[in-house]
This record gives sequence, C-alpha cells and structure tokens, in this order.
Amino acid sequence: MEGGRRMPPSNTFGPGAGFLPFWLGALLAFLSLILIVQATRRAAEAAPRPLTPSRVALIAVLSTAAGLAGYILLLEPLGFLLATALFGAFLLGVVERERWTVTLSVSVVNAFVLYVVFQRLLGVNLPQNVLGF
Amino acid sequence: MDLFHNILLGFQVALSLQNLLFCFVGVTLGTLIGVLPGIGPVTGVAILIPITFGLNATTAIITMAGVYYGAMYGGSTTSILINVPGESSSVMTCVDGSQMARKGRAGPALGMAALASFIAGTFATLALTFIAPPLATVALSFGPPEYFALTFMGLTLVTRLSGESMLKGIMSGVFGLIVACVGVDAISGEERFTFGNIYLLDGVGFIGTAVGLFAVAEVLLNLEAPMEQVFLQTKFSLRGLFPNLEDWKVSLVPIGRSSVLGFIIGVLPGAGATIASFMTYALEKKLSRHPERFGTGAIEAVAAPESANNAAAGGAMVPLLTLGIPGSGTTAVLLGALLIHGLRPGPLLFQSNPDFVWGVIASMYIGNVMLLILNLPLVGLWASMLRVPYRILMPLIVTLSAVGVFATDNNVFDMWVMFFFGIVGYLMRKLDFPAAPAVLGLVLGPLVERSLRQSLTISHGDLSIFFTRPISGLLTLAALLSLLAPLVRAAWEAHKRAAAAART
Repeated sequence: MEGGRRMPPSNTFGPGAGFLPFWLGALLAFLSLILIVQATRRAAEAAPRPLTPSRVALIAVLSTAAGLAGYILLLEPLGFLLATALFGAFLLGVVERERWTVTLSVSVVNAFVLYVVFQRLLGVNLPQNVLGF
Repeated sequence: MDLFHNILLGFQVALSLQNLLFCFVGVTLGTLIGVLPGIGPVTGVAILIPITFGLNATTAIITMAGVYYGAMYGGSTTSILINVPGESSSVMTCVDGSQMARKGRAGPALGMAALASFIAGTFATLALTFIAPPLATVALSFGPPEYFALTFMGLTLVTRLSGESMLKGIMSGVFGLIVACVGVDAISGEERFTFGNIYLLDGVGFIGTAVGLFAVAEVLLNLEAPMEQVFLQTKFSLRGLFPNLEDWKVSLVPIGRSSVLGFIIGVLPGAGATIASFMTYALEKKLSRHPERFGTGAIEAVAAPESANNAAAGGAMVPLLTLGIPGSGTTAVLLGALLIHGLRPGPLLFQSNPDFVWGVIASMYIGNVMLLILNLPLVGLWASMLRVPYRILMPLIVTLSAVGVFATDNNVFDMWVMFFFGIVGYLMRKLDFPAAPAVLGLVLGPLVERSLRQSLTISHGDLSIFFTRPISGLLTLAALLSLLAPLVRAAWEAHKRAAAAART
C-alpha cells in the first residue's frame, strides 16, 4: 500500500523528449492517488496482513542484501575468485547457518566452477586482484 | 511448398550439432528449473541471457526457448510428488496430481503429465508453424498507429490479468515504461533522467533489471519462508509410468480441448501459461460427466492443465515472433534477449532472418521429443533433485546471477542496477505489485514511445489517428474496453445493489 507514495519524476524537458515521461509521471501520480484513497478506505474495514513476517526472516533478507552490496563493492579490489568464495561463504555460513564443512566446500567449488565457465569457456574477463587471480 | 521449404531450412539449422547440444542444455535446464520450487522460468531465462551472450542469436534463443517450455514439463513433477507447484503454471496440477500420488498412482500421473505435455507442445509448435507466417504477412502492413495500438493493448491486457489488483498492475507497467525512458532519446537525441551518469546514457541495462526483478527478488522472498527439505520414498519403474487404457479414454478429449484452448490463450497478449491452466481446469470440470471426481485424483484433471500450459508456451511464441509483442513475463525477457542479439522481432524477421525463425521453431519439435525422453525414464532423477535443499541452492543462484550480469558488459554498474531492482522487485512483491508488467513496460517502452510520437507527427497531434484506421481502431478499442470493463462492471453492480436496496 505504501508503494503509492512514489514521487512523480521531475519534467524539465522540451515537448519532444519530455512528452511521454511527463504523461507517464502524471499517470503514475494519479494512479497512486487512487491507490492511497482505496487503501485508506479499505484500512477501516480490515487490517492488512503483516508486511514483515518475523524478525529472523527480516535479518536474513537484510543481511543477504547487504552481502550482495558488499560483494559488488569488493569484486574489483579482491578479484573474482576471492570475492565470490567469500560471498558464497557469507551466504551459507552466516545467513543460512550451514555447517562450516559444507559452507567451505560449496562456496569454494562454486566460485571455481563459475570462474571456469565464464573466464575459460565464455571468455569473459573477470576482475583480478593485484596478485593476479 | 514455401512452408515446406521453410520448415526444411529450419530443421537444417536446428539439427546442427551445436544447436542440438544447446537445445538439449536448454530443455534440461528448463526441466530442472521446473522441478525446483523457488526458481521459475522467467528467472531461468533472465540468468541465461548473459551466459548465452557469446553464442550466435539462433543458438541462444533455442536454448532460452527450451528453458521456457522445458519448465512446463518439470513443474508437474514437483506438483504431483510433493504437492508444491514447481511453477505457477502447475498450480492446478497439484490439486488432482497430489491426490493421485496419495492413492499410490504417482506413476501414471507423472506419465500422463509428460505425455499430455508432449502432445500439447507438439500441437502448439505445429499451430505456430502454420499461423505465424500469414500473421507476419498481415503485420507487414502495420504503420506506427497500429504498432502503438498493439503494444498498448498488450500492456493493458497484461496488467489486467496479472495479479489481483488491476490498479497495481497498471502502476507496475507505467513504472516499467518510465524506466524505459532513461537514456538518450532515440528521436531528439536528448538526455533524459541520466543524472550525469555515463552508464545510464544507453538506458537502464535490461539484463540487470530483469535478473534483479526476478532472480534476486525471488531469492530474497524465499529467504523469508525457508523451505522444508523433502524426503521421497517413491520408486519409479518405466512401466509403472504409463497410464492404462481407462486413463487414456477419459483424458484424450480433455487433452485435445485444452491444447487448443491453451494455444489460443497463449497467443493472446497478456495471458500466459498460468491462466491457461486455470481456465482449462475450470472448463473441464464444467464439461465433465463426473465433476465430483475433480479434486479427488482424476487423471484428466492432471492431463488438462498440463497440456494447457505447454500449448500456451508454444502459443506465446506467435505474437513474440510475428509482432515483437510479448504476452507474458517470460516472453518479455525473451524479447529483451532477442533485442540484445540485434534481432528486431516483428513481421520483417521472417524475411530478414528466416534461418533464425525457422531454426527456433524446428528446435521446438526436437526439444519436445527430448523432453519426453528426459521426463519419462528419468523422472526419478528429477525427483531426487528435490533433495538438494534450497539453503545450498540460494547462494548458487545469487552468485550465478551476479556474475552473469557482470559478464554482459564487463562492468560493475550493471550489478548495482541488479541490486537496485532486486530490492525494488522484493518490495513490489511484498506489496502485491506484479513484476511482469514492469518488465513488459521496460521492453516495450522504446517501441511504444517511438510509435506514439511518429503517429502523432503523422497526424499533426491529432489523437483520432488511433481510431480512424481500421486495425489500430479495433485494437485501441479492445485495449480501452479491457481497461474500462471493471469500472463498468463495478458501476453496474453498485447500480443493481442500489436498485435492490430501493426495492426492499
């Protein structure tokens, strides 16, 4: 329901390029208005189902998102292999609380397989760290 | 004879060693994705775009199409064995399929699902072969107003049919269209919404957006409700998989009906495999002489939705290839993939790239045969895949998505796009906004905008151009009707209620 509060984008363009974005923005703003009105009317009738199911779930979601952001940040400085293995280990060990043997083997094998597939078979230049791997 | 010639050309392309191999890879991955709950065909296709990036366009699309219809086969296995739909399109298969399994008839249920899928998939491919070329010829005469009307209709239908709230569907579609506006304007060359970021000049990366909206969002959502590990004791023998004569007798007619209906629903923009399976289940229940058997393990109730979702997957290829208009989330992602490979789907595709079009169509015949072989004798293998816990799978999906997105353009910015849209997609799902219209809007955005502005240039800003030309008039009318129908219905019901209240 809260999704209706998206702001309409600013429209400072000439009539040509700005034509569609302007009307789309206007349309979205209008629809949001309807949604807000609907939501406030309906809220009186029935309580909406809870958005966050549990604390544990929220922590898992947030830490995965944070881990992904961290991975993207560290990918270039650490190099592909190290960063991917670390990220995999983080997801398995910290988020999923898997046993450390499973964590270690799966994340290392995963990083290595991806490396072989993308770097060797598909010829992608994956980021390397200063040590060259 | 022309058609025969084209099909021959198609098989020539599809039977090359490389294409055969990748068709096999596609349908195998598709089955796997179908079997595993928590990862759907849209996600699978989105992740595959970067991986198949280096291949030629034909091979890449053969692989991705294989994933799409392969997932329709695999989804039934999970539905029948553990009563959890592997895909949204196999929800209806759960109802009677799991009941059959409970009665010890899992084998025939699985066999019937695979065979019905095969019959319907082959039927849909045949229908595609015969319907697509004439449709493409008609579409050649389309000008900008027709294209605008067509895309407009596609967008309204998708928003109508995806999710519970139509309003949220439309908002999601408009959001996609707005995102599509980012970058250099194709007509005037003006920069829009780039905020001085050079990576945004080219628009928001499609792969990053699609992978984010589907793969990352799905993973985040699944983290909330951890899936239980499944244990299966069922043993399968090949002989136990074949339905008996009685089963065939009750199923054959529903399979035929559902194939036709499913195909038609698939062709219509906006309604995909999921809706097709729901509608045929309802139809068969209504037409059945023993409707009370439905829900208690009737084999025709497994056969009908399974044939419908496969036929719809084939049907969805018709508007995609002939008009360049995707009918569902998965085909929208496929369209994005085609564009990335430099192909412009639409009527001209049949003339400019016949080897591509017919190669893909021919591969669908081959793929369906492969799937039948994969799904009948090897069903036990797929069932054992269910033992891999999602906990292990999740990091694999996330890292594969991230690397794939990076690999397309070798830049980290696309990964941030993926991250951003992953969060957006997650929040959208939490708030019941469907993601498919957004992707459709993103893919169709440039076409919508160009055809709209060209039309308005032709008519000097007069909106009536969309109504005065016969084809575009009809399509625009249909789109407006589908938008306004619920309002009219609501008004009518309110009116009736008021009248009833007045009477008492």
